[in-house]
Amino acid sequence: MSVKYLTNRTLFQKFSTNLNKRFLATVSTTSKLEDIYDIVIVGGGIAGSALACALATSNLTKLQKRIALIESSNTSNIREWNPLQGEFSNRVSSLTPRSVQFFKDIGVWQNINEERIKPFSDMQVWDGISDARIRYNNESDKKGPLAWILENYNIQHAILKTLDKDKSIVDIFDNTKVQDITFDKDSGGGQFDLSDWPSVELSDGRKLKARLLVGADGFNSPVRSFANIESLGWDYNSHAVVATLHVDPNIENKTAWQRFLPTGPIAMLPLQNGFSSMVWSTTPNLATKIKSISSKDFACLVNAAFQMRVADLEYFYSQLGNNESVDLQSEFEWRKSVQLKNSDPKEEFPPLVLGVQEKSRAGFPLRMRNAESYIKERVVLVGDAAHTIHPLAGQGLNQGLADVHHLLQVIERGIANGQDIGDINLLRGYSSERYLSNLVMLGVVDKLHKLFGTDFTPTVLARSLGLKTLNNLEPVKAEIMKYAMGL
Amino acid sequence: MFRASSLSSQIHTRKFLLANLSRNILQSNLHRDNKNSEVIPIRTNYTSSTNSQISNLEKCTLAVSSALTAFCDPGRGDMIATLGETTGSIFINRMRDHMLRDKTGRRILQERPRIHSSTIDIPYLSSLPLGTFGKEYTNFLDGQNVTPDTRVKVQYIYDDELAYVMQRYRECHDFFHALTKLPANVEGELALKWFELAQTGMPMTLLSSIFGPLKLSSKERERLFKKYVPWALQCGSQCKFLLNVYYEEHWNKNIDEMRNELGIYLVD
Repeated sequence: MSVKYLTNRTLFQKFSTNLNKRFLATVSTTSKLEDIYDIVIVGGGIAGSALACALATSNLTKLQKRIALIESSNTSNIREWNPLQGEFSNRVSSLTPRSVQFFKDIGVWQNINEERIKPFSDMQVWDGISDARIRYNNESDKKGPLAWILENYNIQHAILKTLDKDKSIVDIFDNTKVQDITFDKDSGGGQFDLSDWPSVELSDGRKLKARLLVGADGFNSPVRSFANIESLGWDYNSHAVVATLHVDPNIENKTAWQRFLPTGPIAMLPLQNGFSSMVWSTTPNLATKIKSISSKDFACLVNAAFQMRVADLEYFYSQLGNNESVDLQSEFEWRKSVQLKNSDPKEEFPPLVLGVQEKSRAGFPLRMRNAESYIKERVVLVGDAAHTIHPLAGQGLNQGLADVHHLLQVIERGIANGQDIGDINLLRGYSSERYLSNLVMLGVVDKLHKLFGTDFTPTVLARSLGLKTLNNLEPVKAEIMKYAMGL
Repeated sequence: MFRASSLSSQIHTRKFLLANLSRNILQSNLHRDNKNSEVIPIRTNYTSSTNSQISNLEKCTLAVSSALTAFCDPGRGDMIATLGETTGSIFINRMRDHMLRDKTGRRILQERPRIHSSTIDIPYLSSLPLGTFGKEYTNFLDGQNVTPDTRVKVQYIYDDELAYVMQRYRECHDFFHALTKLPANVEGELALKWFELAQTGMPMTLLSSIFGPLKLSSKERERLFKKYVPWALQCGSQCKFLLNVYYEEHWNKNIDEMRNELGIYLVD
């Protein structure tokens, strides 16, 4: 019997009973047929589970392939997600129209909790030193919103709900860690030579054999290290602080704001009227201080970060550790009154921050990475395992979803041609599509970060001139936004 | 800042500008003996009804003309002032940022103290014992026969906080003389201009520092560059930013102690 029979799921079921009986007598190192999978996805984050969901809904794969999804954490937290009104998780993502279309195609979008998502069509980005501003407004455009802001839990919950509709297609191993991945010399099914199939050893003792091993297991991907693929890049001397903010509820919250400070950009993304999500990339020192100050001072500091001069902010930073003898609120009000007398009244600012949600302040280090290759024989990397990016452009998750989309198309093509889907020549189609576009996006975001991270006067003047000019060139702006929206 | 104005108001501003220039050039030194006793507002009252601001081109013209006039007659403090205002916008912003980073600087920006004979009590300062900051200051004023009211008002800076910073910078000039013990002759003034260059980086100070010495004799110039300039650059760049000092609170302080605290050491 050749391996080809394994590709037909119904035949598999017929043969499995016979084969099992035959091998009962043999040594127990032989893997059981239930443990032989066509696709094993390691990592149940958004990218991994979206891939599982896409495979489960695709007509070509769902009946023919055995798919396993391995996730180390307990998915019941996500399945039982029941959020409170007026409280938002601090881990949010911005989804481009392309990602949303992908979710619609795989049937996930209908399960999203629509009350907790925020599409926005207006975006303002400005330089903290020179106040040069770029503004993009999409409201009158038929293309739809610029992006949607959702909590990550919302997305994961919707994906799991879609997967749970038909549990027979994807075998989800949750609460299971991957102990080891090896090339097991034991040739699996006896007649079948599976020695070149990666063998995934789980924490419950099972050993899965994978025709195609998908690494969707994040930054420290074990799949990537198994495949001996190096990850190239650098650590930014920055940490991102996230929080859920309570903002002025009287102002319509429909704009995404981002200000580039010399220490890093601070962004405010709308969640609902009165609630916004903040991502503030700054030095590790400041990040620690910001997370530890009182909520009242934190709210003042965020307001200052969006509205005050950089010199004022530096004064605030210097006062943060000192027993808070400075009343940040009155300092802010004084500077605001001076500013109002002398500045352009047309200049817009984000809504005033009134407070921060309890326990919503958290931080993580920022890095840039790209794997030297996305593919190996029978191994493919998607999402953060393949690349990591600075959050300033909101592209990380969207890149991962684009990876998943292309991988799906490549797998479907392989099946339609009767190919072995783990064949590296098939996988090259995925790599050639995604490697270059990811590299370009990573490069652009990295250069933006470096450009805006300095206060050297000639650079400031040059970039401010660039921003102002770009702001006035509507067609160029539209093209750039189309690229960012994935269209 | 440039405000678009209608044709008629442009004519007004041009007329005013010409009038201003001619007034400055034709009129003789008006400041050194003017003892104005009322509290002066920061800005001059414009005679023009439109009260509009000058455009960038007009600023450039003014910068060039005031530079030339100041070069020809270094006694024209008002020309130096105009040069400072028209060329110094980035640097005044920097000075304000320096003040914003310091606690005392912020207090000064908030309270906006003015130095004028109506706000500081000169007879009281004269009565202070020798060696205090107040006494040294009044000694300097008497020695040069000037009062603190001789500073030109800010005219071409339209942001009121920046106008205050410029005004404060001018008004503190005499304090710098007292602290550095430089005389008010041409040499001393030039040395102090180099000192201010190291502190603030303003182009006006740079221009004065480069073109001023051309008017000196070669011997004076040699002394200036051998002795005063190295001192000025070194002392100016390492001492505390002098606008962050609330001078009005230190009249009674011993001047040597004050110099120590600020990081100022005397020439030679």
